Amino acid sequence: MKEKLKFLRVLSVFMACFLLAASAYGQEGAGPTLQIDKTSLNNGGTIKVTGQAPAGMPVYLEVWAADKAVRANFFDSKKDAKTGQIPYVFYLTYDMPAYYKIFVPVEQKDKIAELKKAGKKWKYSEAIKELGAEAAYSVPAKMKIDRYKASIMASIIGSRGDLLDPMDDKENKKRSMQLVKERFKELDKVLSPDVVVNPDGTFSAEIMIREGLAPGKYNIVAVCDKSMKSAPAVFENSISFPLVYLGTAGTSQNILWPFLLCLVISVFGVLMGAGGGFILNPILVSLFPLPHTIVAGTVMPTVLFSQGSGIYNYSKIKFINWKLGCTIGCAMLVGGFIGPKLTELITLDQFKFAFGWILMVLAALMYWQTTAGYLAKNKKEQAILKEFKKRAEEAAKAKQ
Amino acid sequence: MKVDFWGQEFEANVVVGAIGGFLIAVMSSMFGFGGGPFMVPLMTVGLRLPMYIVVGSSLLAIFFNTSMSSIRHFQFGNFDLILFLCMFPAALLGGYIGPQIAKRVNPIVVKRVACAGLLLLGLNLLGVY
Repeated sequence: MKEKLKFLRVLSVFMACFLLAASAYGQEGAGPTLQIDKTSLNNGGTIKVTGQAPAGMPVYLEVWAADKAVRANFFDSKKDAKTGQIPYVFYLTYDMPAYYKIFVPVEQKDKIAELKKAGKKWKYSEAIKELGAEAAYSVPAKMKIDRYKASIMASIIGSRGDLLDPMDDKENKKRSMQLVKERFKELDKVLSPDVVVNPDGTFSAEIMIREGLAPGKYNIVAVCDKSMKSAPAVFENSISFPLVYLGTAGTSQNILWPFLLCLVISVFGVLMGAGGGFILNPILVSLFPLPHTIVAGTVMPTVLFSQGSGIYNYSKIKFINWKLGCTIGCAMLVGGFIGPKLTELITLDQFKFAFGWILMVLAALMYWQTTAGYLAKNKKEQAILKEFKKRAEEAAKAKQ
Repeated sequence: MKVDFWGQEFEANVVVGAIGGFLIAVMSSMFGFGGGPFMVPLMTVGLRLPMYIVVGSSLLAIFFNTSMSSIRHFQFGNFDLILFLCMFPAALLGGYIGPQIAKRVNPIVVKRVACAGLLLLGLNLLGVY
């Protein structure tokens, strides 16, 4: 008897789950259906979506990259209006779709224009609510989001802080929206009024898939409300060389451009006596849709080799004071340990702003190096430098 | 700290050097640039060392920072191999071409041009235009 009860209980739980799942996907016949006119794209293009929904219902299309996910992070350092405390919580996910967009009915064009007036301060959660697209917002809501309690101490020892307990579904959804905004930044990239719904319930939309997006499978789902969703339609986006998908950035990039840019800037860097990073990084983040963390983390090692060979050349002619270099080097080692942690705590705009000031200071230093007083001093020292170099080279030759 | 260099002896304030180096390292690793143009003035003006000691030793100090922050950026998943592979050869090539051109141009003119360019780029980032 007991066994039977247990079985029944399990069965009832199972049934409940099944019903929930079924209603979530809404394949009860009443839901919308959709067709697409092509199933493959080459580096973006337009897809025509047509379908049938119950008459009188709005139709939203949720489109996302199904097999390419990227990292997204967001640092909450805004004062909480209720408690007056600053949370200092760092949210991080690795499940953000490389592409995510909700297409809303064309009638909401005005609302979107209105939302855009907020400029960079637009809020994704408000936009979704305003446009009535809550039901369509489902994929990012299910991302696994880790959150860390950041503290000054944790930042100093270079950790992200303590990992907090996982969030409940509602909180997860709320934070996922902030992450979506942090990842895609512009409203145009995640919301667009393109769905034309006719009075009889038929709908159509021309979906523009941008150039330079992730390759792979994309899903389209039509949504009327929470319980009415269509089965996903799948299309595939393909890219070909010189376009290459950058896994950490979540975008495809013509790699010839960064190559040429890097070449020109590193030549110029040698001429002006400053590393290329100063110019390369701001240009990379401004011109290409690359996250600033990736840019900083990838440019850094490119100079390792040239620095290493420089040190080797100087050490051959005994032009390095090891004691001095290593002492200051140790202090810089500590700084280099902390810095990369801080990169992910700031937004792209803060990155650009701070970089702007750094460049101002650098410009002032450059100017100072062209002033008469500096040049006179430099000339004298350059003469000594040459003299030393000559002596050093002679010494090296004599040894051989 | 006493610094020996080719028979000459200099006195350097290491505390200033270490604090300055630390701050420059945090900034440069955070934003992903080398930091040489900041280190050289720090060591020449801040530590009153002559240029000929500074060129080699500052490079050594920066190398510490660059290797550490490269490792850390890698740990945090900020490293993109493909982007690196397309920029690294360019940086090497630039390192060979650069000195060839450097012989033929006036360094003061280059610095003035660089100064103007940096100002423009900086103002752009600050959103002035």
